[in-house]
Amino acid sequence: MGGTIWLFLFAVIMAAALLFCMVFFIIMFSDLESDYINPIDLCNKLNQFVLPENIAHGFLTILFLISAQWIAFLLNAPLLLFNANRIRNKNHMYDATEIFRTLPAHKKESFIKLAFYLLSFFYYLYRMIVALIADNE
Amino acid sequence: MASPAEQLPPGWASEWEPTNQRLLFIETATGHTQWEHPAETAGALQQPALESPPVASAPGIHHSKRRQYAAGQTQAYYGGADETSMMQQPMSQPPPQAGMEPQLFTPGLAATSAPNQFAMQQGQAQPQYFDPSQGQQQPDYLNGQQPSYGQPNPNALADQFGQMGLGGPKPFSLQTANLLTSPPDPRELSLPPPEIRLPPNATVTPSQFANADPSYQRCTLNAFPNSSSLLSKSKVPLALIIAPYRTVSENEPPVPLVTDTVIARCRRCRTYINPFVQFIDGGNRWRCCMCNLSNEVPQMFDWDQTRNQPGDRWSRAELSHGTVEYVAPTEYMVRPPQPAVYVFLIDVSHAAVQSGMVATATRTILENLDRIPDEDERTKIAIICFDVSLYFFSLSPGQTDPTMLVVSDVDDVFLPKPTDLLLNLAEARTGGGLESLLTRINDMFKENSIIGSAMGPALQAGYKLMVPIGGKIIALSASLPSLGVGALKNREDPKILGTAKESGLLQAASTFYKTFAIECSRAQVTVDMFLFSSAYQDVASMSCLPHYTSGQTYYYPAFNAARAEDALKFAHEFGEVLAMPIMLEAIMRVRASRGLRMSSFHGNFFVRSTDLLAMPTVSTNQGYAIEIQIEETMNVPFVVLQTAILHTTCYGERRIRVVTTAYPVTSNLSEVFASADQVALAVLLANKAVERSLSHKLEDARDAVFNKLVEILQTYKSSMTAAGAGASAQLAVGENLKMLPVLILGLLKNVGIRQSAQIPPDIRAYSQALLTSLPAQLLIPYIYPSFYSLHNMPPEAGTVGPEGVIMPPPLPLTSERLERHGLFLIEDGQNIFLWVGRDAVPQLVMDVFNLPSYDVLRGGKTTLPTLDNPFSQRVNAIIQKTREMRRGVYYPHLYIVKEDGEPPLRLWALSALVQDRADVLPSYQQFISSLKEKVNGNGGY
Ligand SMILES: [Zn+2]
Repeated sequence: MGGTIWLFLFAVIMAAALLFCMVFFIIMFSDLESDYINPIDLCNKLNQFVLPENIAHGFLTILFLISAQWIAFLLNAPLLLFNANRIRNKNHMYDATEIFRTLPAHKKESFIKLAFYLLSFFYYLYRMIVALIADNE
Repeated sequence: MASPAEQLPPGWASEWEPTNQRLLFIETATGHTQWEHPAETAGALQQPALESPPVASAPGIHHSKRRQYAAGQTQAYYGGADETSMMQQPMSQPPPQAGMEPQLFTPGLAATSAPNQFAMQQGQAQPQYFDPSQGQQQPDYLNGQQPSYGQPNPNALADQFGQMGLGGPKPFSLQTANLLTSPPDPRELSLPPPEIRLPPNATVTPSQFANADPSYQRCTLNAFPNSSSLLSKSKVPLALIIAPYRTVSENEPPVPLVTDTVIARCRRCRTYINPFVQFIDGGNRWRCCMCNLSNEVPQMFDWDQTRNQPGDRWSRAELSHGTVEYVAPTEYMVRPPQPAVYVFLIDVSHAAVQSGMVATATRTILENLDRIPDEDERTKIAIICFDVSLYFFSLSPGQTDPTMLVVSDVDDVFLPKPTDLLLNLAEARTGGGLESLLTRINDMFKENSIIGSAMGPALQAGYKLMVPIGGKIIALSASLPSLGVGALKNREDPKILGTAKESGLLQAASTFYKTFAIECSRAQVTVDMFLFSSAYQDVASMSCLPHYTSGQTYYYPAFNAARAEDALKFAHEFGEVLAMPIMLEAIMRVRASRGLRMSSFHGNFFVRSTDLLAMPTVSTNQGYAIEIQIEETMNVPFVVLQTAILHTTCYGERRIRVVTTAYPVTSNLSEVFASADQVALAVLLANKAVERSLSHKLEDARDAVFNKLVEILQTYKSSMTAAGAGASAQLAVGENLKMLPVLILGLLKNVGIRQSAQIPPDIRAYSQALLTSLPAQLLIPYIYPSFYSLHNMPPEAGTVGPEGVIMPPPLPLTSERLERHGLFLIEDGQNIFLWVGRDAVPQLVMDVFNLPSYDVLRGGKTTLPTLDNPFSQRVNAIIQKTREMRRGVYYPHLYIVKEDGEPPLRLWALSALVQDRADVLPSYQQFISSLKEKVNGNGGY
């Protein structure tokens, strides 16, 4: 069945994109630490990516749900809930007035997300290959 | 005594001698040279004469002792004695050149004499505690002066030389006190912080001003731990408390100004040259005290530009003063100096006009037009009124009658006219146009019945008007913003007060107040808020603007100009804000020796990069707290911290204020404890508590502060006392930290933090704004008010002494001190309460209030009459002095509180007595015993 292959191919591409997004965040944070960018520009730039990132991840998770990929869905559900809760409390955006105080937390969060996307990237890749092999047989 | 050169007698010159690294003194007429400072040799000869007066009263002898000590040490410093031998055995014996009685010359004695004296006083029996005769011995500080700053009296000199470390590397002697048996003594709060004992030769000049006065910059620890592990072991937070632009009163020395635009800075770390650098290479180079880089001394450094002749390096203020101000050359300007701009946004809705705010505000502006800084006639001014529409006033040059332009589209704010809205202050006044406008505004809107406020659009309009220039927006509002951008809802809900959700009410409700603040900060615009509403006004949201733009929030709840006291207070404070020197486009940066990093910042500014604080304009008398991290182990004898603020004056001069302090580095935990500054700690914890109450819950903030105190006491007990980790019958703390628990108790009971379900969110938010912006001098009375007994004050209290009006001795804040027949004064810098006991004798009531008896006296806000009797005059003098004593623009209300008067007022006044129990809030004794339990580990902690 080709659906699974396409699903995981899409997931691999999405994970790679999210991965790059997190790398970009981390680079921006370290730029802020070394004064290459001021907090206002930083927040303006990063805030453009916050919602797209969350939506992309949410979309992927929902996709897993409707295609009944339970393991993949359960892996992603906690992060989806975490993001949704953030948005509900209206503190998902970066606040330039507080950014230096919250920077360590932001960096930690970005690194954890980075690791998560990296692992899921390989997991999706593995699942895609498994699906390909299964398809060939 | 600023530098050795200034003290040179006529006919003498000094020269730097590179081989010996010291100054050589030359008698110009004869060519005779000597190492000794000529004034000192002369001084030493004169010593016997100085001592000879037979009337040797006790303090007199003391003075001469210290004088000799200081003089001798200076001489040693300048090479009167062999330097190396001085270094090796500075303590054990008197310096060799002593031409004086040896017993007067024991440096150790002199260095410790101040604490010893203090300890003796403490050791004395309690009855002497408030002995009226001690009134005069109170530190100058109580009378509004800086301790030992400026008066070259021998006492101060000796203390300062002790501070300079000439007393040698004698370790701090940590004296332990038992909190259970020593009640707090408010007089300790006005003592100077623990001495900063720098190693010998830390400074290039022996100036007593080398370290900045603690009122400009002080640190929670006056001896820095050498590693972060030692710091975390001590549990004492490390932070700098600064108020670089505190005002200077007439009898204080002004901050020295360096006018020749020769600014020596380190090439690598950009540190400004200061008293703690080292001159090397024959005085041609200087070694940076922070990064050790050797820098060239600028060519013009030794040139006197005013007289156009070689000058004397040692007379330069930056080498002898910890606080200096430079006139900066044009390289320090990002753009040409901008004029000062004031934009007034005046709420003219029904509520505002009815309260009399509009009339009082316009009259105050009118009366203070002359005080608005305008030295070079470039200052600009604009007035915008708003209710649900915006009203602009245009005045073209030569026009005497202003035209009003109404903009009712507040969704997309535009300026109705490109010019003539922002007026040149001097030009607008020549035709009388501005005056006539100010006199007419109140009449124009007298009948206004519109309810609602387009505050956000008005702010945007003001911003548009001034955006190319920058300056100050002064917004006066008596209602909740209800229209356009930044509109707020009434979110006051009595049900959530006192619960975990309460902290939500203390955060900004609309992101507008943060994003707009950032825009303002970028455009160099400061916003000052004056709020007047009797109903909910969301002070928490509105105070965000001043917070991030280095402005200030002023709040007059239920303002009513019909009450003369309200009008007077607002007019006074508003007038002071208008007259405040305006310092534009400021940035502040704190630099520190290698191994130290500024980690977090508290105060009214915007943090623009990791260590750069942006302030569109600087408000005088604001305090900031900056936490310091130790990043690497420090193997240096001392560290230096330097705060620099770059700003432009309203007459277009770029100025840099540089505040430098140096602190010894220690590896000894007991020295860390002995050098802790309780006042600085209380200021830091107040800032941190407010911050925590916003990000977490109010309860968490209180717990965090309390737990910090427990941690400090626990560490103290386990490492500094014999009890170790076990239980102890004592609650031990260093003498220098004895007031910390009561200050923390005062903070926990402050309106901004207190556990209560009764405090309106506006009052809380305002109090929090004060806690994070007041300088130490105002913040300490705000959390631990002053309390005086007036009916039985010592006879000299209230009269004018050499230091101004003499204040009565402060009492501990407990109602046990209240007497039924007494008259008491309680003051927290924001309000003054005059407490009258129910059995006050008619004569007392007559003398003070001009009323026949206690029964006819009425409580509430009042102005005290000045009557023709000495007691009334003394009470008035004390109240007057109380108002002057605190720096800042605040003019406290005076309330008469009758012992059996209206309960709300009485309870409010009593809540200032923080050592008392007040329903759920513990008394000092309860607080101390719960502390003791926690410290002994019984509290499940
Ligand atoms: Zn340097």
